Amino acid sequence: MVGPVHYLVLAAILFALGAAGVVIRRNAIIVLMSIEIMLNAVNLSFLAFSRFPLVPVAPMQAGIYAGQVAVFFVIAVAAAEAAVGLAIVIAVFRSRTSVHVDEFDTLKL
Amino acid sequence: MDTDSAYLQPYLPILVLLLLAGVMCFAISILAGYLGPKRTFPIKETAFECGSPTTGDPHSRHSVKFYLVALLFIVFDIESVFIYPWGALLRDFAAQGLGWFAYLEMLSFMATLALGLVYVWRKGALEWS
Amino acid sequence: MSFNAADLQGVLPAIILSVGALFLLTSEVFLRNVRPAVLGHAGGIPTSPAERVEAKLPPGAQGASPSAVTPPDRRYQAWVAAAFAALGLWASLAQLGDPAIAIFNGTAASDGFARVVAAVVCGSLLLSCLVAFGYLEALRATRGEFYALALFSASGMCLLGQATDLIVIFIALEVMSLAVYCLSAYLRRGNRPAEAAFKYFVLGSFASAIFLYGAALAYGATASTRLVDIAAALRGGGSGLLWAAAALLVVGFAFKVAAVPFHMWVPDVYDGAPAPVTGFMAAAVKVAAFATLVRILLGGFGDPVAALGAHGWQRLVVWLAGLTMVVGNLLAIPQRSVKRMLAYSSIAHAGYLLVAVAAMAGPLPRQDAIGGLLFYLASYGATVIGAFGVVAIIERKLALSGAGDDLSSWAGLSERHPALAAAMSLFMVSLAGIPPTAGFMAKLTVFRAAVSAELVPLAVLGVLTSVGGLYYYLRVVVYVYMMPTTKPDAVMGERLVAAGLALIGCAVLVVWMGVQPGAFASVAQNAVAVFSR
Repeated sequence: MVGPVHYLVLAAILFALGAAGVVIRRNAIIVLMSIEIMLNAVNLSFLAFSRFPLVPVAPMQAGIYAGQVAVFFVIAVAAAEAAVGLAIVIAVFRSRTSVHVDEFDTLKL
Repeated sequence: MDTDSAYLQPYLPILVLLLLAGVMCFAISILAGYLGPKRTFPIKETAFECGSPTTGDPHSRHSVKFYLVALLFIVFDIESVFIYPWGALLRDFAAQGLGWFAYLEMLSFMATLALGLVYVWRKGALEWS
Repeated sequence: MSFNAADLQGVLPAIILSVGALFLLTSEVFLRNVRPAVLGHAGGIPTSPAERVEAKLPPGAQGASPSAVTPPDRRYQAWVAAAFAALGLWASLAQLGDPAIAIFNGTAASDGFARVVAAVVCGSLLLSCLVAFGYLEALRATRGEFYALALFSASGMCLLGQATDLIVIFIALEVMSLAVYCLSAYLRRGNRPAEAAFKYFVLGSFASAIFLYGAALAYGATASTRLVDIAAALRGGGSGLLWAAAALLVVGFAFKVAAVPFHMWVPDVYDGAPAPVTGFMAAAVKVAAFATLVRILLGGFGDPVAALGAHGWQRLVVWLAGLTMVVGNLLAIPQRSVKRMLAYSSIAHAGYLLVAVAAMAGPLPRQDAIGGLLFYLASYGATVIGAFGVVAIIERKLALSGAGDDLSSWAGLSERHPALAAAMSLFMVSLAGIPPTAGFMAKLTVFRAAVSAELVPLAVLGVLTSVGGLYYYLRVVVYVYMMPTTKPDAVMGERLVAAGLALIGCAVLVVWMGVQPGAFASVAQNAVAVFSR
């Protein structure tokens, strides 16, 4: 029987993978994808919490649906974020002809 | 569950056979690659009677127009995420006497989207030239 | 759930700003002589190699495209944006005395705190629009999207100030952030702005995702995303899940407010973005981020037992504040570029603001701390917009001559432009926290609240680091007044009307808040009552 713990652990693993991708990967497009993975991992945990509430809730209480509504908004926001991020990557690419984060070194500490 | 496994029992040898065959295939081809003699020279490397040398970089760049269309597609496509549940629930809203309210809400949402479309259109992002 | 006029009235500033943004966007595309279908100018992305080269040239060359089409006059846009900002400011101030109500089913609140935040945001926007006007005109980079994006981000900030539901907070946060990412990439000149925007985008989205994960865990622990329900769940004894959520939410916002160790993006972004945008970011984004942090910590985790107890967030915030003050000030000292110096100084100021947040944990000094925080945010906003306004005037001159930003270009400014020099000195003095200015009163109120919250070591550390900060602020003043001019070119006298107006406004605010803090404190008092439970 697959329960909430499975989903939550999977979500946590996905989130960690995404976070590691943002930190480790050097390709700007992959970094964008990693951010998307993080957001979708959060979506998964929202849905898991919505499907298997950890605290007792009445059957028709709004709280059950709050998680599902959250997912809709997160999807929309993630799309907007992807659009802006891709636009910025294109802008960087045009000025440098490279999408490798290591080469983004004009600004130094 | 028990009946299932009893039913599948006769096929176990076949599964083992399949696995063994797969392992053998991989093992032989990998071993051959390691152990076999390799003598390569430029002429052997050329394409012979099966095509011509490739010209240009296979990783050709796509035009930015593709990205632009992709961006616009993502942004406008996602809005259906809000429209679909609205459509599914409109009858419930109407039953509660909130039909017009829900309708106007969606209308204002669509109007905002339409404004975005007008912006994109007038900016010329939809034209291929 | 049904239509309720009070709901819309509650978010009036945000509505005014979004309507303004939509108006500007629509008017932009119906201007004549906008060349259609060419990405280079219409979309702002240079496509052809020629244009790519052009983008690296000094900005004066950008307008000289081969076609004879003259760009439409877009100067009205700055004034329209400023008018909408002023309208938003008026709307938020007009509602100031109204009773606090929960709107949109309790997902947002219209209360004194939100209105003060909205007022500060709209004021910052107004001043920034005026600063940006001359800057963009001088660089021939006026496009409609600039002011529209600024208005969109400001509407997100106004919503952030009043959101009381984690999902609404997330949406408002993204409305603000996405617009600001675009703004910081706005000038397509060389590599810097795009790179800065990319760094900002990646770290900002990373922080948003962490915040969102915190929200998901809080939802799991309470089956609700409302802050009120989180508070109720805490009163019934918090769970480990809830504390993990609190930590993630705080870390997410620590990125946004640029607290050490989550500050790495700040110098790059502040340096790479155009100076008027940097001023707006430093002032308004900070206001919105701190307002939300206060909402989450006090509205959701505000119960004094929860805040101060064994797992309380106060200790976390105290450490963040201490680290941020020390590291921000230390890293600012070696900077030669004024913009980078101001970036590190903004980190240091985030530290002082976090002192106020830490002081809010206890029930007794809470009122003083909130009042102090709002006063500090307003005074820092006025000061930093002014400072970046002066930087913008210097920078546009430098950008036209192709030079970089360095202290040496400030040498002898007092001879070339005494008024500008005086303004810059005033802002530096205020940032350093020297008496007759707003900066001093702000630091005083915050440190006083910290002392009454029994955070004496933190207050002492704050005073010590402020003294250390004197060095790099006053070095600018020394360069402006005492160094001989090395570069003969004078700042352009033309097109300083709008920027001059903004600088005068900032200077008046800085002195006024320094001399008569009582008037502003009473405004802040309206906001304080919300959290006095």
